[in-house]
Amino acid sequence: MLMLPELIVIAAGFIILLLDLFLAEEKKNILGTLAFAGLLIALGRTLFSFGQQGELFGGRFVVDSVAIWFKIIFLLAGMTTVALSWDRLTGKTTDIASRMKHRGEFYTILLFSTAGMMYLISSRDLVTLYISLELSTIPLFVLVAWDRDNPLCGEAGLKYVILGALSSAVLLYGLGILYGLSGSTDLATISQKITHSPALWLSVAMITAGIGFKLTLVPFHMWAADVYQGAPTPVTAHLSVASKAAGMAFIFLLFYRVLGGAFQEWNILFAVLATITMTLGNLVAIIQQNIKRFMAFSAISQAGYLIMGFLGPFPEGLPSMLFYLYAYIFTNLVVFAVIIFYANETGRENIDDYRGLSRTNPIIAGAMMLGLFSLAGIPPLSGFVGKFFLFSVASKAGFHWLVGVAAINSTISLYYYLRIVRQMYIEPTMEDATTLQISPMLAGTIAITTLGAVFFGIIPFFYETINQTVAASDWWSVITATAR
Amino acid sequence: MGILSWIVYIPFITAVFVVFTPAPKWYLIRWISTVGTGIHLILTAVLTWKYWQVASPDFSSMKTATLTKLYLVERFPWFESWGIDYYLGVDGISVSMIILTSIVIFTGVMASWHVKNRTKEFYVLLLVLVTGVFGVFVSFDIFLFFVFYELAVLPMYLLIGIWGTGPKEYSAMKLTIMLMAGSALILIGFLALYNGAGGQTFDLLELSKVDYPKSFQIWVFPLIFVGFGILGALYPFHTWSPDGHASAPTAVSMLHAGVLMKLGGYGALRMGIYVLPEGAKYWALFFMALTTINIIYGAFGAVMQKDLKYFTAYSSVSHCGFVLFGLVTLNLIGMKGAVIQMFSHGIMTALFFSLIGMVYGRTHTRIIDDMGGLAKIMPWFTTCFYVGGLASLGLPGLSGFVAESHVFLAGFFGNPWHDLGIMRFLTILATMSIVVTAVYVLRGLAKVFQGPIKNPEFAKLTDADITERISTGVLVFTMAAVGMLPWYLIDLIESSLMPFVNRLH
Repeated sequence: MLMLPELIVIAAGFIILLLDLFLAEEKKNILGTLAFAGLLIALGRTLFSFGQQGELFGGRFVVDSVAIWFKIIFLLAGMTTVALSWDRLTGKTTDIASRMKHRGEFYTILLFSTAGMMYLISSRDLVTLYISLELSTIPLFVLVAWDRDNPLCGEAGLKYVILGALSSAVLLYGLGILYGLSGSTDLATISQKITHSPALWLSVAMITAGIGFKLTLVPFHMWAADVYQGAPTPVTAHLSVASKAAGMAFIFLLFYRVLGGAFQEWNILFAVLATITMTLGNLVAIIQQNIKRFMAFSAISQAGYLIMGFLGPFPEGLPSMLFYLYAYIFTNLVVFAVIIFYANETGRENIDDYRGLSRTNPIIAGAMMLGLFSLAGIPPLSGFVGKFFLFSVASKAGFHWLVGVAAINSTISLYYYLRIVRQMYIEPTMEDATTLQISPMLAGTIAITTLGAVFFGIIPFFYETINQTVAASDWWSVITATAR
Repeated sequence: MGILSWIVYIPFITAVFVVFTPAPKWYLIRWISTVGTGIHLILTAVLTWKYWQVASPDFSSMKTATLTKLYLVERFPWFESWGIDYYLGVDGISVSMIILTSIVIFTGVMASWHVKNRTKEFYVLLLVLVTGVFGVFVSFDIFLFFVFYELAVLPMYLLIGIWGTGPKEYSAMKLTIMLMAGSALILIGFLALYNGAGGQTFDLLELSKVDYPKSFQIWVFPLIFVGFGILGALYPFHTWSPDGHASAPTAVSMLHAGVLMKLGGYGALRMGIYVLPEGAKYWALFFMALTTINIIYGAFGAVMQKDLKYFTAYSSVSHCGFVLFGLVTLNLIGMKGAVIQMFSHGIMTALFFSLIGMVYGRTHTRIIDDMGGLAKIMPWFTTCFYVGGLASLGLPGLSGFVAESHVFLAGFFGNPWHDLGIMRFLTILATMSIVVTAVYVLRGLAKVFQGPIKNPEFAKLTDADITERISTGVLVFTMAAVGMLPWYLIDLIESSLMPFVNRLH
């Protein structure tokens, strides 16, 4: 029963694939409902499994509270992506160019990717870890290149495939060295057997590079801007959220579960990576004109903040990181939902195109502003609370300079997020501007994600729940047991 | 909810009412805001009375206290695992600042009576901003403090960006980014305080009991002091202030120069000097030199200005210098002077900016040389302007004199840790600024109000209407009241300042 959520997701994927063959085109709306329902049922099952810990296949598949929290993120991200792509796949957008075809395959592939991510966080073995990572990544290659008639989209897909394959190869090499050093593929065994040697650090470097690609850590971020811009926007939203969370899951497994005892030797690596990632992401975001490229660099800088949670294995490090991940996905999805709404109705994707939105659609502009402020870390929104906790972890680990860098970076990021706010609120409206109609699906998504972005930070319940349940997992005892 | 929560959330509740008022009914919106801030003013009077009731028996025992005693405390846990509480309380300094803010926002709403462009958004942002300000003055949990602090700074961007004049986008961005950079410094300092104390609590009073090592205090204190100093227009970080104040709409300039800049002084006192006394002693002389530059530079800057708003903004830089100068003298008189100056300057500068806004609304120019002889047309405005100007140059009987005399005396008395010669030298330099102030105030007022009417168009203009008379009248009255009866204000703050001084010894 432990694997039920994953099985539900995969089953839903296959059912959609089969039904897609038989259903007439006008009846295919049911496929989207089915995908959403599958994810929702899996989410319900996952929520119900809190408190149940257990393992399958001789300890190669483990469910604990940390895994459950990650799975909820993946499922939520999948559900939002279904909701965000709804209008485009059903052809209800005003802008014809942004419509997407082949919805049966779209949902199937999305569900498979989600299942891969869910397996990833439950894996305790190098082989299953790698396979589930590939299961989550390869469908994304397809999704990125979905709109095959659009040259930008094709280019994005090609870049993503080539660089993704390269990073996978590097990652696999690193995992191979880890196996060679310990003679085992079991994470717990590796963590006990590894000794400090140049080969270990070579392996760590390769794993970091490989996973840095998924997390868009600088200098492995090169693909992000083109892929984010070229991919269909719902896929971009999915990439910026789910793919990033999967990367965090992978880092958590390798660096906490395997190398947690030696954190003092690798946390400086993360401090440096965080510094350059957030600085470069922020500085380059300033000059972007296309809002999807802009969000790519914003996402890069957010990855820099996220990995600050790994600076020291304190009991509050993981809950802070998880909490920020939740705050980040809700906030980021607010912004992407508005971007998709605007592109669906007008086909426009430049920052300048948003001028006067506060006059034509005040509520949507308000939601967008809240989302951007939360990304910039303005209290009392959830993005601020999450950042505050992460900064505190860095400060506790003694990285006061990094807190300084991160806080100054937040200020820089406020500068470019305010650029959009300025377009929406200060600049005059465009000549042809009228009030745009929003579809119920997008309106609901914006409403729910905005509420999340606002109330996660104000109501302590969410953080405290994460904190308490995560303490039930064995991650902390693994670190203290192997600490040297 | 206790009275302090009401103090904080009444503006916010008013803002919510405004949100649900249809936008075309702008006249209703301004009435809702007026009523909301009016209720707040009454509640502030109740708070002051209540505070007096509970706190005055303790006044004598505070003389030797080293720990701030809080009254009307409201406290319950918020993020328990981090030791973050929702923790409100007041001492005399907070109460005096709440009175100031309540007066300024009430008159500010009155002064923006004629905002007709997107009235709804204007009032919502204004009220949210002031919620943050009240929150800062009553928070004694540094996380909560920081939340309110940033909430008070950010709405300024839109307020200046949408309703401002001149290079408004540039000024708004410059102001926001500089102030946010300041709060970045503060954030580093706060987290260092938290983790330096073992990472158990964000309670300010608990943290102040911690004996931080001297080396730690020496690097954290400047972060916090400069971080707040940016908002308090500390030289050389004051550059946002003239641009920001000149571009902002009337009520926003009033609130920003009148109240928000006081958050800087308040934070530097509460978070810097109180928590890190050793650091304060180490850096005091350095910051005293900077604030002396502030005072003199601001005064000379004002002499050169041609625009009335820039003129007042530079004079604000100079006067806010007195606040920080008083704080870093590290003796009781200086800190008293600093707090009185916060109050006095808050009222004075709010008066100036509201008058400038009202005059500009009529003449459509703020250039000093283009005006002249306005006294014949607008006697009410002229009188108010003169009272404000005289308070600004420190005329006895008005609030400015009380504050400045305290600050200069403090500089002359010195303190046990620093060289008396240097302190006196700096004090003399700072005192000279009074002469410069007299020059620019009297010359500026003469040019604007006296002499023949320069522009025949002006002869048709009218004097103040009823809302304008109320708002400026309240401010003039407060200023004169503080000047003539300063002991009420001094009694209110003195016992609360004792722990700050006692901790230093």
